[in-house]
Amino acid sequence: MALSQDELVDTLAGLSLFADLSRPQLEQVAHKMAEESYPVGQRILRQGFTGTGFYVILDGEVAVRIDGTDVAHLGKGDFFGEMSILLGEPPVADIVTLRQLDVLHLGGPELEAFLRDHPPVMYRMLKTMALRLRNTSQVRS
Amino acid sequence: MPLSDDEKAAVLARLPLFAGVSSDSLTRLTAVAGEQDFAAGYYIVRQGQVGTGLYVLLEGRVRVIRGSDELAVLVPGDFFGELAVIDQRPRGASVEAIEATRCLALASWDLLDLLEHDPQLSLNLIRGLVARIRDQGEHPHH
Repeated sequence: MALSQDELVDTLAGLSLFADLSRPQLEQVAHKMAEESYPVGQRILRQGFTGTGFYVILDGEVAVRIDGTDVAHLGKGDFFGEMSILLGEPPVADIVTLRQLDVLHLGGPELEAFLRDHPPVMYRMLKTMALRLRNTSQVRS
Repeated sequence: MPLSDDEKAAVLARLPLFAGVSSDSLTRLTAVAGEQDFAAGYYIVRQGQVGTGLYVLLEGRVRVIRGSDELAVLVPGDFFGELAVIDQRPRGASVEAIEATRCLALASWDLLDLLEHDPQLSLNLIRGLVARIRDQGEHPHH
């Protein structure tokens, strides 16, 4: 399901990760990332295996699965893969598609440069991390 | 005994949170970061309060408390208070000095200003948070 460039940029404009970007900046993001589709039942990331990528979900749903158990579901606007890249460690969970999935994909080695080039995206990611930590026992205020 | 600017800059540069930040940022940090001393038992941060800044532990130890649960003990080099600065929500936990403690305090507006101008600092902060999410193991997100 390839979107036209305009449709893709419109879709990105609605995602909170990119909410602070201007239209030209959104076009840059669309240009740097690759649009990909995966069928249902596909494993995109493998627990314990090397191989990294940063993914932003445009449409569809995935399960975050550890040792065979689903610990979370992610959908449109969610992103995954960044933790492994930022820490230089293998994924701690499988990511498996639950429905037909459309994503934007950026290769692992390109993520840091991408974040440096787009500070508002980095700030949104920072806020998402803060939210994930808030309700855990790793909160430090 | 307060640190001289040079000593403060040297201490800051060694902290993992500020590893690799620009010398401009280090100069700015030295200028805006204030040293604060706390006696044992003092609540540096209280759960539910509005967050006004982030703290980096220089000397001593602190405990992180939520409700009646002790969540962690932090040691020099660790930082706390950053979540409330990032998301402007109330403090999610209290932090109490276990012993006489010295911190560097960085006000919210100064930190946010630095984050805006120094991508390395943002990256360091994200990495710090991501490492803790992964340590948590509870709700791993990749």
